[in-house]
Formats: sequence, structure tokens, C-alpha cells
Amino acid sequence: MSGICRLRLAEERKQWRKDHPYGFYAKPSKAADGSMNLMEWEVGIPGKENTAWKGGLFKLVMTFPEDYPSKPPKCKFTPPLFHPNIYPSGTVCLSILDEEKSWKPAITIKQILLGIQDLMNDPNINDPAQSDAYTLFKWVHWSFVIL
Amino acid sequence: MSSDNDYSDEDVDYVFDDDDMGIEDEDSDGDDGMDMDDFKIVPKTTRKAWEIEYTSLAQFAVEKLMADDVEHICGILGVDNSTASLLLRYMSWNKESLIEKYMDNANKMLVLAGAAVPEPEPPRPSRRPPSRKPKSPPKDTFVCSICFDDSPDLISLALDCGHASCSGCWSAYITSKIRDEAEHSCRCMAENCALVAPDAFVRAQVDEETCERFEGLLVRHFVSCAPHLKFCPYPACTNTVSCPAAASKSSLTTVVPTVSCGARGIGSSSGSMTQSQELVKQATGKEHKFCFGCIIDTDHRPVVCAVALLWLKKCRDDSETANWIKSNTKECPKCMSTIEKNGGCNHMTCKKCKHEFCWVCMGPWTEHGTAWYSCNRYDEKGGIDARDQQSKSRASLERYLHYYNRWANHEQSAKLALDLFAKTEKKMEEMQITSTLTWIEVQFMKKAVEELDKCRMTLKWTYAMAYYLAKGNQKDLFEDNQRDLERAVEDLAELLEAPIEPENIPTLRQKVTDKAVYVQKRNEIVLEDTADGFLEGRWSWNAAVDGFDPPQEMAL
Repeated sequence: MSGICRLRLAEERKQWRKDHPYGFYAKPSKAADGSMNLMEWEVGIPGKENTAWKGGLFKLVMTFPEDYPSKPPKCKFTPPLFHPNIYPSGTVCLSILDEEKSWKPAITIKQILLGIQDLMNDPNINDPAQSDAYTLFKWVHWSFVIL
Repeated sequence: MSSDNDYSDEDVDYVFDDDDMGIEDEDSDGDDGMDMDDFKIVPKTTRKAWEIEYTSLAQFAVEKLMADDVEHICGILGVDNSTASLLLRYMSWNKESLIEKYMDNANKMLVLAGAAVPEPEPPRPSRRPPSRKPKSPPKDTFVCSICFDDSPDLISLALDCGHASCSGCWSAYITSKIRDEAEHSCRCMAENCALVAPDAFVRAQVDEETCERFEGLLVRHFVSCAPHLKFCPYPACTNTVSCPAAASKSSLTTVVPTVSCGARGIGSSSGSMTQSQELVKQATGKEHKFCFGCIIDTDHRPVVCAVALLWLKKCRDDSETANWIKSNTKECPKCMSTIEKNGGCNHMTCKKCKHEFCWVCMGPWTEHGTAWYSCNRYDEKGGIDARDQQSKSRASLERYLHYYNRWANHEQSAKLALDLFAKTEKKMEEMQITSTLTWIEVQFMKKAVEELDKCRMTLKWTYAMAYYLAKGNQKDLFEDNQRDLERAVEDLAELLEAPIEPENIPTLRQKVTDKAVYVQKRNEIVLEDTADGFLEGRWSWNAAVDGFDPPQEMAL
């Protein structure tokens, strides 16, 4: 199992270095002694142009389980983001990151990161993960409908 | 939801009307009759009014039912076995609805169910066709799209969509789906591809244990979709009970469907038991008895599920604590703090808000003028209301405690039944030594204890029933029966507890045997009368019960 996991992550790393979307970065984390930990990646997602997120670079930690890619990685914003679909801990709530919803072993790291970038400006109101941002978003949304 | 219920009702009718329907059915496709054959129950002539018809099915028997359904669909829709099974699973094994929807739009159904869409037939491509073109087989080296392995000995596998990956990845993926997520439909690993792996494909990829688990999941899904089937709730038991008479919710107001799956004892994991141990378990283990309609108790006869549930809820929640507070305390009329008076005079001063009032009439103390320490103002309306309320809740608490104590008493006795069994066994040995009775002749003791245990269960639940029965003749009759049974049970218990004197053994044996038979009769009378009452709709309740008419007036 673990064989598949490391093989796949090594290849993901290779593919990423060959080609990745502009402004993004993704690299396995380094332990204190300088050794590389393939199971945990540090990534950065740029805010999309023409949105409120423009100009920002948002950092995440991706943690891969031993049975990746049968199971999806856990993606966590550090520091947490104020967003309806992001838990107060920073963990992202997204259907393609849920093995009981749309996660498929064929989904690549690139696809995950692009998916999260989309989510930032396009929250899913039906699946809230934190109450403050959700309530505010709903309220603003609702007032727009009224106006 | 409503369609589910409709379906179940139809199903029930089907089984009952099978005999009349048979003639009409013969010249139609006849398939309906065929799959119903397995549900047909040989009518037991000795069936009592409080018993219900049911059959218990082993896992292979349920698999047979599934196979019959699949074959039926194959024949009608002209699809292969694995497609039919995927379609049925998607439609929760509702054949009528599947056939109707499939006739409407076959391709849509196939796509939704995750089955492969046949190539030449569709006149227009369905909305989300999986890419049907099988990728050209890798010419030089195959690279798995999941693990990116490219060793030459890799075996490439793909569903009909052609999304290939290596066998190792497939097996890891399917195993994790089945074992970690208890999921019986494993979709293709490619993104957005909704194709479900056919059963044969799944079986080929996983080891034996996972395969067994997979079969189990399929059976559980089938059973959970059929309202007349229920899985045995005992640990490690794989049997299923079919009870069409209790399939619909409305039937639960007239019967108490106590069933037994046919197995005994607690199943052992992976055959660690020897054959002889297995036999012992079969002979001595407890029957897997359970209620088909609810999960609250193994046998709550004579009372129906809804009332039993109501009673348990009442016992569990703290509504009676609230009643105690109501009976023993009063609220400050101003700030509503709860006050328990434990001495002193009637002139109360609330500790919290310093409001002064009279404990007797609850009115403000200022109105009492100079009549210190005696309250004669009984005509004040507010005072009367407050007092009424209090005496009512006091009476209700007493009533509840009356029933609860007896109910709890029988439950406690039933728990001690194991001790009694052990004690009785010792006594039986003693008897064999001190008298000329043989082993077979002392079995009467054991039988009596078993009977006692059964009757205590019945008695226990009669108190729950009596608590909710509306006042009237019916309740009086019910309580008469209950009293007779209770008296007989206590007499028998006394006989069994009595010390054994060698010279008295023959008379004791006679007495115990007689009493046990009498107790059994009384028990049957209680069960039969209540069961008949439910069928005739004779019982009325003093509280709102699911599925029954609301009470005429609240007696409480």
C-alpha cells in the first residue's frame, strides 16, 4: 500500500516540476535535519485575478495518508482562512477531497489546488464548515437578493 | 418515502393473496409468482393469536432471492446479469419502478446506475457518456495513471470506460472502499467517471476475506431495501428473517412481531470453535429472538412497539424528576425560583428576590393583613389554581411510580434468572442424589424455571401497557388477567425457591408441574387476549400513541 503511495507522490513531484500553473508552488516539507518528507507538502495558492483574493498567496499544508491515493489528502490552510467552507482549524471542506463524495484516485495535486482556488471565490453555501463566515456570507447574499 | 410505503403494502398483499392470484398470474409472465415462492410460508396449524408468521433465511437463501430478482430483470430488460444487478442496486431493488424508468429512458438509467452503455444501440449519446473508446493498448510500456509505475510486468486493467490502471492499484482501491467505507459500489478511479465496477471485476481483485465482506454488504443492502426482510441483530449472525405480515408500519399497531432467526448462541469468529463446541452452543445457547418492528427489546409482548417505546422513553428521560419537583416544591410567584419548604411558618420570603408571599395560597403576604400565620383566603382564584396543579401532579407521580416499581421489579427478577437457573441446577443434582428420581425425571424443575422467566417478561410489559390503557372496562379486564398471572407466577417462584426435603420430593414435583402448567395457561390467556384486542382495535390509550386514534380525553 505504502509502495503505491510513495511511488505516486514521487511522480506527482516530478510532474509538478515539469509543469505547474502560474503562481502556485508545491513541495514536500523538510524535516529539521534536512531530509524530505514526501507525506507532507507545503503548497501555496495565489488568489485569482479580478477577485477579492487577488495579489495574495495563501499557504496550505497537504497531509497524505498511508493509503493515498485510495484516500484523499488533507488540506489545511496555515493560518486558517475566513471562508464559509474552511473549518476554524483551516481544513478545507471540498467534495473532491472527501472519499465518500467525489474523491477519485486519479485526481492529481494540480487538480486539487486548482479546485481549492476556485472554491475561494465561489463558496458552496450548502456545505458550511464554519459559522461566522457562513452567517455573514448568507446575510450578505440575502441582502443582495432583497435589494 | 410514500412510494416506499406503497411498495411495501403491495408486497404484503401479494403474499397473502398469492393463492387467488396464482390463477390469473399463470398466463401472464408468471415471474412474480416465482420469486414470491420463497416467501410463501407453510401455514402452521398451531399458530397462536400472539404469534406471527415468519421464515428465517440464511445468507445463501437471501443471495438466491437476489439472483432471482436479477434474472427477472435480465429477462425483461434484455441486459446481462451484472448490468441488471447494478440497475437494481441503484433503484434500491424496486423492480416496478426500475422497469418503468428503464422503459422511459434506458441510457439515462444505465449512466445513473454506473453501468456500461452498449455501443451501437443508442441513437443519441447520453448526456454524460463515459469515454467509450478503449484506449489503444500501450505499445511499448504501460504507465499506470494512479501509481505511475512502469515496470514491464504490470497488468493493466480497465472497466468498459477504458480508464486503465494497474491491478495493484485497483485491488488497493477496491479493498479500501469495501473494508474502510463499507461501500458496495466502487466507481472507476478516473475523475468524473461514474462507471461502477461489476461484481465479477470486484471479486477478481480482492482477497477472500474482502470478497466475503463484499457479499455481506450486497446482502445487507438488499435486506435493508426490502421492508419485509430484516437482518438478525445478534453479533456475528448472518441470518435474515422474512416477515411480510409486519412489513408495513400500520401493521405494527395490531401485532407484536417477535421473531427468531433460527440460530442460537453468539457466533464465534472465524471457526475457532470445534465441532462439538458448536453443537453445545446450538443446543444450549439462547435463541436469537428479536422484535421485527423495533429495536427496544427482544420480546415486549403483549404490548405493541409504539406503546413500549413510549414507556421506555418515559422511564429514561427525567420527566419524573420534573414531576417530583412539581409535587414537592413551589415557585416563587415573582421570580419563579423553585423553593422547597422544609419547615417554618407560611410567611415566605424568597431568598433571591425578597418577595414575600403566603405558602398556602401563594398570594402576596401584604393581602393577608393582620391574619399572621394563618391563611383563610381559600377563595382566591390564583391560589386554587396553584393548589389544583400541585395535587394533580402529585397523583400522576404516584400513579407512575406504582407501575414503574412493578415493571422494574420484574425486570430485576428476570436479570436474576441466571442465578435461579444455576440454583435450580444444583437442586436438581441434589434431588437425584437424595431420591430415586432419574435425570430425566428432575427436568420438570428446569422447565418450570424457563416458564417463570417467560412469564416475568410478559408481566413486565403488561405494566407498561396498563399505565397507558385508558380507564374503563377493558382496562379492568386486562388488569384482572394480569393479576391472575402475577399471583400464579409468584406462587410458582415460591415453590421453586423452597428448600428441598427428601420426603417431600414427590409432592413438590406434583405441585411444581401443576403450577407450571397453570402459569403457562395464564400467560397464554394474557397474550391471546391482548393480541385479539389489538386485532379488534379494542384497546384505547390515555396518551397519544403513534398509529392509534388520539385519546378521547386525557385521563392524566
